[in-house]
Amino acid sequence: MNDTIIATDFPLTDAQRKKLGYLLNALIPASQDGHMPSAGELDLISYLEANAVDFLPVLLTILDDLDEEFLTDTPEEHHQGALALSHDNPARFQELIYQVYALYYQNPAVLEGIGAAAGPPFPQGNTVESGDLSLLDPVLAIAKSYRAVP
Amino acid sequence: MPEVNLNDPVDVLIIGAGASGAAVAWSLADTRMRIVCLEQGDWMKPSEYPTNGADWEIQQHAAFNIDPNKRGRDTDYPINNNESPISVVNFNGVGGGTILYAAHFPRLHPSDFKVKSLDGVADDWPISYDTLDPYFTQNDRMMGVSGLAGDPMYPPKQPPLPPIPMGRVGERLASGYNKLGWHWWPSDSAIISRPYQGRDKCLNLGPCMSGCSQGGKSSTDITYWPEAIRAGVELRTRCRVREITLGKNGLADGVIYYDEDGEECHQKAEVVVMACNGVGTPRILLNSKSSQFPDGLANHSGMLGKNLMFHPVGSAQGVFEENLGSHKGPQGCCILSKEFYETDLSRGFVRGYNMQITRGTGPFTTALHGYATGRIPWGADHHKTFQKHFDHVASIGILCEDLPELHNTVTLDPEWADSNGIPAAKINYTLSENSRKMLKHGVERAEEVLYAAGASEVASTELVQMAGWHLLGTARMGTDPDSSVVNPWGRSHDVKNLFIVDGSIFVTAGGLNPTSTIQALALYIADNMKKNLANLFD
Repeated sequence: MNDTIIATDFPLTDAQRKKLGYLLNALIPASQDGHMPSAGELDLISYLEANAVDFLPVLLTILDDLDEEFLTDTPEEHHQGALALSHDNPARFQELIYQVYALYYQNPAVLEGIGAAAGPPFPQGNTVESGDLSLLDPVLAIAKSYRAVP
Repeated sequence: MPEVNLNDPVDVLIIGAGASGAAVAWSLADTRMRIVCLEQGDWMKPSEYPTNGADWEIQQHAAFNIDPNKRGRDTDYPINNNESPISVVNFNGVGGGTILYAAHFPRLHPSDFKVKSLDGVADDWPISYDTLDPYFTQNDRMMGVSGLAGDPMYPPKQPPLPPIPMGRVGERLASGYNKLGWHWWPSDSAIISRPYQGRDKCLNLGPCMSGCSQGGKSSTDITYWPEAIRAGVELRTRCRVREITLGKNGLADGVIYYDEDGEECHQKAEVVVMACNGVGTPRILLNSKSSQFPDGLANHSGMLGKNLMFHPVGSAQGVFEENLGSHKGPQGCCILSKEFYETDLSRGFVRGYNMQITRGTGPFTTALHGYATGRIPWGADHHKTFQKHFDHVASIGILCEDLPELHNTVTLDPEWADSNGIPAAKINYTLSENSRKMLKHGVERAEEVLYAAGASEVASTELVQMAGWHLLGTARMGTDPDSSVVNPWGRSHDVKNLFIVDGSIFVTAGGLNPTSTIQALALYIADNMKKNLANLFD
């Protein structure tokens, strides 16, 4: 096993790093048409260091719970491994999903892929159609009224 | 007007700078009395609201979470919801709950004030819709309300601004209601659809419920407060009231509060006005014990903290083939239906509910909610199911009238406390059988509408847990001092210079968002105080 330390304040062994990549790709794989990246292509560790440092030790326990065979498993077996994690410790897995989705759905390439504007809503805002108020004609035709009070 | 020294007595002390505290402060300001408002939270900075940042959705789950127990702000007080299927939602700061509310702004109906007479349940209010009508109008002007006149389900009224856009979500759902022959109408919204009183119009940012960066949403920090302060009212932030003190004459003589540095201060006052909502107000009064009031101030009736009413909320979400652009536009305001608002005993329950059409959510929340509900799995099908939902959903919230019941209470928690050591509020609440039946009926009708509108799939939640937005009834209004806490104009039966102006004085809840009615009540009470200044304590 090569225990190379990667360049981050939060060191992962090479094995842990590979496990993380496989796990993230199991959670959100790349889309078949290539428009959407996989979660494994994004830098979860840097995101957590900046936004959710308390989750880093939890992430380590998740990676350590994946056995060494995970490193040589097929994508389908990675899916089964992730499924086992979700059953073994649902609360911890839920937090993992939260962090992975938070990273993924802020990524500009992802937002572009789903047709949403990257960046904050303010100040550009959004255009919303005013809507056809003639749709109210049937409501007025029914001539219902508020309840009278004695 | 000169600023008041901390030790100087003031004429009127208002506790809480939210929806009702702002309205009462503004109205009383024209008396030129010395008025101070104590608010435990801060002034909000619009530049810090989530929609200024790319991480806006994450912030909705963190510093701007609607759950005070999760926000992690020391300006909040904890609320023990462990004995309630519905959790309290609130915000503490200048603007109070209007900072995070959806700004859905209907008025209660005339029938809501006469529930006992009409349906034989609960109690009638000692005032009527007509009593509040001029104050509704005044409040609509002050807040800046957008809507469409002519709704047959209301007496005539004219919102000052045209309605906010329905969008494709509103049109799609409207077609469903029309197919069924059911009532719907564009929502009255405290969101400005045109430039109004120095504020620019709504930009359709989307997530109103984490603060409005644009200022298109009418929270009281940008509506009432600037005018009240210009008129001489002093607003002190980071001042947390512990208790109201009682003088030898049996009148309230001020409050003890903690300032920003945690120093204990005593502010004397001739009149004390509570505006802390249906949980905060009983919490302070229950904490204000004395030999005269061993069970809490103004509580000879024993009604303080009892009859807590929420609006139990159910929801149904439809998925449509058409891209509805549903994450754009004010999330909680679109159209509403009052088809099932009034009592029809053949439905198996008394009273009714409104159906509030809401728009979709942003990408992260869509994915997270989809995971939680099992509709958007992680794994190979994630992208396909995500795309099917994102911008393709419309939701209907079922907002039910809750009836007052003595066993639904706000009390002081024996163990939990806020950062100043003041006991926290504890909620004991049981969902009634009537509410259960109403929720079930409402969710089934919502599913019916969504399918009629063309939804390919519908998923429902019969009771939304994190939906205790509306906190009502815990210091009810009435003519009988043995069964109510305040009189028909908000004055305590027991303590003649203590007034309550927030949602705790509601006798019944109606089945509609209450902020419009809360503020109309506050203006009505302030007006009565002004008319009776010469003999206010008689």
